[in-house]
Amino acid sequence: MSSSAEPQAAPRAGRWLTASRRMHLFAYALVLPAIALILGLVAYPFLYAIYVAFTDRMVGSAGNWVGFANFRYLAGTAVFSSAIWNTVVLVVVTDILKLLIGLGLALLVNQHLPGRGLFRAFLMLPWAMPAFVAFLTWRVLYQPIGGGLNLILTQTGIYPHVIDWLGKRETAMPSVILASVWRGFPFWFISILAALQSIPKDLYEAARVDGANAWQRFWMVTFPGIRQVLIVTTLLSSIWTANAFEHVWLLTQGGPSDATMVFPVLAYFGMQTQRIGEAAAVSVAMLPVLAILVIIATSMLQKDED
Amino acid sequence: MEQALRNPVRRPEARKAVLTDRQRFWIGRGLTYLCLVVAVIVIVFPIYWMVITSLKLPREIYRMPSLWPRVFTLENFRVLLVDKDFLRPILNSLIVSTAVTVISVLISSCAAYSMVRFRYRFKGLIGRIILFAYLTPTSLLFIPLSILMARMNLGNSLHGLILVYLTFSLPLSTWLLQGYFRGVPRELEEQGMIDGLSRFGALLRIVLPLSAPGIAAVSIFTFTGAWNELLLALVLVTSESQRTTPLALNYLITSDVLPWGPLMAGAVLSSVPLMILYFIAQHFMVQGLTAGSVKG
Repeated sequence: MSSSAEPQAAPRAGRWLTASRRMHLFAYALVLPAIALILGLVAYPFLYAIYVAFTDRMVGSAGNWVGFANFRYLAGTAVFSSAIWNTVVLVVVTDILKLLIGLGLALLVNQHLPGRGLFRAFLMLPWAMPAFVAFLTWRVLYQPIGGGLNLILTQTGIYPHVIDWLGKRETAMPSVILASVWRGFPFWFISILAALQSIPKDLYEAARVDGANAWQRFWMVTFPGIRQVLIVTTLLSSIWTANAFEHVWLLTQGGPSDATMVFPVLAYFGMQTQRIGEAAAVSVAMLPVLAILVIIATSMLQKDED
Repeated sequence: MEQALRNPVRRPEARKAVLTDRQRFWIGRGLTYLCLVVAVIVIVFPIYWMVITSLKLPREIYRMPSLWPRVFTLENFRVLLVDKDFLRPILNSLIVSTAVTVISVLISSCAAYSMVRFRYRFKGLIGRIILFAYLTPTSLLFIPLSILMARMNLGNSLHGLILVYLTFSLPLSTWLLQGYFRGVPRELEEQGMIDGLSRFGALLRIVLPLSAPGIAAVSIFTFTGAWNELLLALVLVTSESQRTTPLALNYLITSDVLPWGPLMAGAVLSSVPLMILYFIAQHFMVQGLTAGSVKG
């Protein structure tokens, strides 16, 4: 680290800019713009959001420190409790479904199949579709008038009556979940498939020689091979699903009567009503859980890297 | 089995067992294809519906829904592009996404190179900050960012959007490029420096060309990230002339009349080029995705 350790630096110790120092300066200079922008655009706003959450800031007034008043107020509102409940349901159910579908399809495509490349390309399509386009399309699909889903269900006779999928309390959340799974499972599928392909084939042979059946081979060879990827994918997917805005905003805007309300949409509505302190408190309220997920994910990703 | 080996009479039975194995194989194959075909249908149907809705006349969309349009029309595209002036948001989105891509790839190439090639103090910390920034959701940042942009007089402008989009594109591209740069052998670079290149020259002439596929993948991810962003645009942009594509489509559905035809025409215009690109470059994009897990 220190320049005196460099042998060629000794003869010209009088010069301030030794080769090693120059290299360090160069290294710092390269990383500086990125770090400065990230500190200014992410770290500072992040801390600022926490500060604002403890003030009664409104549009046009800087606001005063009010301690936990915003959080106490929110905890007493019904919409806040339903946002907590809906976020938990949305994250847990979509994660489980994306895991099952992604894992199942990855196992199928991982076989030596003619045409597997084409299947893989099709299975990736929802991921290539911009999220806003995907959810706008699903919004049209769910329509009682002119929607494709109702058309199929009524014409095939599976269910003869037209359903207002997004307009009814009982069906709104399942509809949001279905669209989110459709858009989100390819990420799981691709990650799991890549992990499956990195498992050495001779491990399966060895297990077969030892007399393991298909189920035992899955638990003793496949599962340990993809466990790390499953954990990281679950963490990332939970963080993104809990904080996603587009799915609920474009499908239901949190309705009907808050049946699909989630934190980011609630925070956005809070901002529109100009009570910025409260809105910030909404988005900061989920920070403790988020922080735990982010810290675990960060340390796992950094371990991956080494 | 032993019986079968000793007694030739039992051999036909052994052959039968082989046959059932083969049958089992074909049944497995058949089920595999069945599942995959069902999955593909479920995936393609919404995309199909988007496309045909954009090609239907309004009366067909609302009054007589069908799987195949009776009359194909480009009327929805005309309404969108001419009446709703949709070229403006497309142009805005192109400007913002291109600028964000160029700026973040430039800055993050330097940062990623520095972190992969040099050893110095705080490197672990810097790596951690970048990962934290990558995982910090926009839903947490949109309120303070809108206050800060207003304070800097950058609210409601494409410049402001470009600046705030760096919050997600910069950590993402730095994180991904680190993975690609690690794959370039150090020896090649050292050879180049012996041949008279400076450090920076080695970065420009050796590392960047060798990681060109990675840089292309990162550019596509960054571009689509900016192209798709809705929440920050919704909060920052107030005037119609500064709207981006997702924002313009968002305002189509928050109006009272719901124009499904033009809406799906806009959806087609803003997604089909990207989807074709991903479809063609899938190998490439999968590598990028698994290199660092890209936000979906």
